[in-house]
Amino acid sequence: MSADSFFEWLTTTPWAKAMNGPEWAFPLVESLHFIGLALSVGTIAIVDLRLLGIAVRRQSNSELAADLNIWTRIGLALMLVTGPLMFSADAVNYHHNPAFQFKMVCLSLALVFHFTIHSRATCPTTPPLLAKLSGAVSLALWISVVAAGRMIAFV
Amino acid sequence: MNIASALEWVESTDLSTAIREGALLYPIIGGFHLLAIALFGGMLVMTDLRLLGWAMQRRTVSDILEQFRLWKRAGFALVASSGLLLAWAEPLKLYRSPSFWAKMALLVSVGVHALVFRNGVYENAKALDEGLTPQAKLAAALSLILWAGLIVTGRLIAFDT
Repeated sequence: MSADSFFEWLTTTPWAKAMNGPEWAFPLVESLHFIGLALSVGTIAIVDLRLLGIAVRRQSNSELAADLNIWTRIGLALMLVTGPLMFSADAVNYHHNPAFQFKMVCLSLALVFHFTIHSRATCPTTPPLLAKLSGAVSLALWISVVAAGRMIAFV
Repeated sequence: MNIASALEWVESTDLSTAIREGALLYPIIGGFHLLAIALFGGMLVMTDLRLLGWAMQRRTVSDILEQFRLWKRAGFALVASSGLLLAWAEPLKLYRSPSFWAKMALLVSVGVHALVFRNGVYENAKALDEGLTPQAKLAAALSLILWAGLIVTGRLIAFDT
């Protein structure tokens, strides 16, 4: 089975049909995607700004990361459900969209970074320079994901 | 001057034409708008979740409100200014969009919300350190609902024809 026929099959799935059914379905799921964005990238950005030493400085890196972690995960879960739903609605086109492809590369890097280096960078024993660097890299990766996502509709 | 001709004048300005017809300006400002929502939205949600007593309970309410206040204001300024630029590019389309007017009504409600709960909640954080009041929880819940509504109506604008 070629890649394209897989993506064609995806658009015939029940959930893809539901997305293409009532005209409010897509904007509703897209709105949930944006709410998940504020929750996931929003809380990650708070931790990044703390790692960089420019926001929420009364809390330690580790305290803040521990307190926000569950909300980041809820947000990411919401994103990883609503994103593929929108993708399946028009899978063949998205699959060939350069902005979408770039977004997926950035997203993979951002997720791997988040669950490896970034989560370790919030430990109290991490050298300050490494913590700052992790905050900067994380911010750059997530900004790339959001910007590329916005470009999907324009390329 | 009536509204239609005022909006036509807006559309005829160089700025409006540049954003509307340039290949990159509109998506870049749109991306900026979205990024500001991500940054500002996270701080807003966490503040409201603290007021509900669901998050960051190790910290007092006043501590969280003070630490996020400036960032939330800066974020709001970024979202509002980039949103104004987007609206400047196509005022006639927005004038005819029901979702846009729903969004503006919600925006007014956000202002009313801020005035109503200012004294009892947001400028009264020290008292809330003793214990969360039903009023504080109501303010937080309404705030979350209003902002979710702003996101939904904002997104719906693109689907109004």
